[in-house]
Amino acid sequence: MSNKNDTFTELCAGYVLNALSESEEREFQQLLAQADEEQLLLYHELKAAASEIATLQPDVPPSPSVKKKIMEVAEASSKTKSKNAIIYKTNWYRLAVAASVLFIFTSIGLVIYSSNLWEQVQSKEAMISQQQITIERLESEVQRKEELLTILEARDVDLVMMDGLADLSPNGYGKVVWDKESGNALLQVANIPSVPIDKDYQLWFIVNGQPISAGVFAVDEPGRDNFFKIEQLRSSATDGAFAITMEPKGGMPEPTGDMYLLGDM
Amino acid sequence: MLFFILTTIGKILTKDEERDRELMARIKTRDTSALSELYDNYNGLLFGLILSILKKREEAEDLLQEVFIKIWQNAEKFDLERGTVYTWVVTLTRNRSIDRLRSKVYKEQKKQSTSLDDEDVFHPLYSEESDPLENTILKERAKKVHQALDQISEKQKKVLQVAYFSGMSQSEISEEFDIPLGTVKTRMRDGMIKLKELLTKGIEL
Repeated sequence: MSNKNDTFTELCAGYVLNALSESEEREFQQLLAQADEEQLLLYHELKAAASEIATLQPDVPPSPSVKKKIMEVAEASSKTKSKNAIIYKTNWYRLAVAASVLFIFTSIGLVIYSSNLWEQVQSKEAMISQQQITIERLESEVQRKEELLTILEARDVDLVMMDGLADLSPNGYGKVVWDKESGNALLQVANIPSVPIDKDYQLWFIVNGQPISAGVFAVDEPGRDNFFKIEQLRSSATDGAFAITMEPKGGMPEPTGDMYLLGDM
Repeated sequence: MLFFILTTIGKILTKDEERDRELMARIKTRDTSALSELYDNYNGLLFGLILSILKKREEAEDLLQEVFIKIWQNAEKFDLERGTVYTWVVTLTRNRSIDRLRSKVYKEQKKQSTSLDDEDVFHPLYSEESDPLENTILKERAKKVHQALDQISEKQKKVLQVAYFSGMSQSEISEEFDIPLGTVKTRMRDGMIKLKELLTKGIEL
């Protein structure tokens, strides 16, 4: 056994019998605070052994009034605790009510918030949908422009200028860029009236006095230049003319309506 | 591990400890009938112990009342892991008795009132020959302690008993019985270690 343990054991024996001087008692309490498990075990064992010595002396009954006084204090304390318990219950009840009210308000708040959130989501979805349409329109526009550009890029094209007719479209303007090889043509028109719902403009290629339909189109905004792509317009003719007439919706096999633009090759 | 060894020391009568723990559990729930039962089981032992230290009945009864009120109020502090109910109650009682004995007020009162003719003064009767306890529950416990003390030297036994029942410090014992302080310390240490070992051994058997 080490000196440290010797000191601990000697002080411990005196401590459990309350027989140490004040300074020794403080010393042991410091040792106890840093004691290892083995020393703690010794302390508890010695304390238990010391308490057994109490059985050596005879039973001495105290006067009955002692128990009476003790029980009076305990009963009074117990009643106070019970009263406190009721108060606690009341507090819990109030707390529960407060919690319920808080829950209701929180729920209402959450409903309003979620409703607002729903509206915001709906609004955003509509905006996204609108933007999607715009994107699709722009993509379509870009594709169309690319197709028109392809026609313009062709090296061997015929350019036909059309003029407006004096009575119906005096300021009318039209131009056909025609790639005969591919059969594709670009039609540009401006300053011709908008077509009614039941009508369309129809482009005609007139060769040897015979009109050949080159396609139908509608103009919504007469003030600006409108571009259209004409497909499958193949011809080896080097002489002819282009004309635009207004026809019933979908076009006619032969021109039946008024002529708005006309130009020779 | 610690818990089992500790409880073994105090568990001379296992049933007693089980009963005491149940009482403590009820006291924690503010059951006054449990406090009443605990009082009935231990009042004679504890009062005898207090009286052996304080000598005066009136003081001892006052302190006994104080101890049980403390038990009632501090039941929550009782920790099963640290030992038995018996050890907790007895140690609490003895510590408070020693505190009272060493308080300035008590010393002053003692000076003024103590005399051999005073009927209120208690003279301890602890002796290995006598039947120490009326309480049958504690009789078996006392028997074991007697058997253990029989195997300890007279000198060591005397130091332990005087310290325990009179509340004298090691230096007071040295002075009172004219024994060197170092000898008192050695006898106390060896006596306590031997008692602990014998009680533990006795229980194992």
